[in-house]
Amino acid sequence: MNKKISTAHLASFSPEMKIFELVESSPSLLSIFSRLNIRLPFGDISISEMCEREGHSVELFMMLASMHADTSFRPSKEHLKPEMLGEIIEYLRASHRYYAEHMLPHTAAHLEKILQHCDTLSQSVLRRFYDDYTQYIIDHFNEEERNIFSIIDGCAEGDARECNCNLFDMPHADIDDRSNDIASLIFKNLPEEAPTSLRCTMLEHIYALRDDLRRHSNVEMYLLRPLIEIYSNTTR
Amino acid sequence: MKRHKVAIVDSATVVAEGIAAILSRSPRTEVVGIYRHIAEIESIIAAGRVDVVVASVAQYHEIEATTSLNNIPVVGMQSSLIEEDIVRRFNATITLYTSAEDVERIVAEAAEQPSEHNISESHELSDRERDVLVLVARGFTNKEIASELNISPHTVISHRKNIVHKTGIRSVAGLTVYAVLNKLVDSELI
Repeated sequence: MNKKISTAHLASFSPEMKIFELVESSPSLLSIFSRLNIRLPFGDISISEMCEREGHSVELFMMLASMHADTSFRPSKEHLKPEMLGEIIEYLRASHRYYAEHMLPHTAAHLEKILQHCDTLSQSVLRRFYDDYTQYIIDHFNEEERNIFSIIDGCAEGDARECNCNLFDMPHADIDDRSNDIASLIFKNLPEEAPTSLRCTMLEHIYALRDDLRRHSNVEMYLLRPLIEIYSNTTR
Repeated sequence: MKRHKVAIVDSATVVAEGIAAILSRSPRTEVVGIYRHIAEIESIIAAGRVDVVVASVAQYHEIEATTSLNNIPVVGMQSSLIEEDIVRRFNATITLYTSAEDVERIVAEAAEQPSEHNISESHELSDRERDVLVLVARGFTNKEIASELNISPHTVISHRKNIVHKTGIRSVAGLTVYAVLNKLVDSELI
């Protein structure tokens, strides 16, 4: 498959680019592969060959990769197609699982190690704040899956009655504020007694989580939302 | 590149959506929301989530009455003829005929202008800011804090903005934890 695709709007990636080059340019893109359930190894194949092998839209993959690599990247509406809706919902569901099963517990485990070096008050307060933060995010995901994704599933099966972008008024600013706050509070209250390597690893985890959640919100706001709008216009 | 957070305030939906579409595409700006009235953005200003406001010049009375906007540049959106001296009160203005490139540039440049009333360089909370923080942690609303401390709600918002700036913490839950860890309130509050 060598379908010609305009890449002028897509960061610096092209369908002909080797997967190796893509990952080398931004190793954090590896998390996209696991969320899209893409099989390893990649060998020497290109983006378009990998997408063909795995049954993914090349354009959608490149938009996701571009949004992940550059948080200021916004997909152009003219490149969004209604048939991408099912695939993007699968990606977002997989992202929710990735946070719930991997990133949030992994960060919690590191926090526990750090808390062993804190006084009793800081231990209980910071643990409680992180637990509440985790629960808030999980509740937000559940609400999205129940109130948005399930309706979009219905749209994909032909029920376009309720499919419109007003569905998508879930607040993401709260999550960003809380992610920022947990990072600030942990940064400012890291116990000096804890080994430096442990403190640095903790901060790397907390900032990675915050930044990844921001990218996730961007995908929902600037990719999913306009796609829903396009879908509802084409089925009206 | 830092992206400036923009709040758009205009009751004309088409105008507001148009400006939002232009600024959302720009790598220099990020639209935090579209609002119909200035009063609706006071809480997000207090939370430190706005760097610049684009507002209809028709709302200049409300803009001038909003103390918390003293620290935030405001770009006037001029969609009808209005007195020149009113236009001059804004940090910059755009019109329905301003090109998309110029809208991006003007709003970003306004965000980069130094504000008239800079926040104190000190990162220590003042006594008054500490009073406000304690009441925020105890769950008081801005109105209730104003009444308790005998100050105006606008002054409360200014204090809250300084608290966010100095602590780097935006949510009420986060500020409560900050207050507990700094022994300003009892841990039983959380």
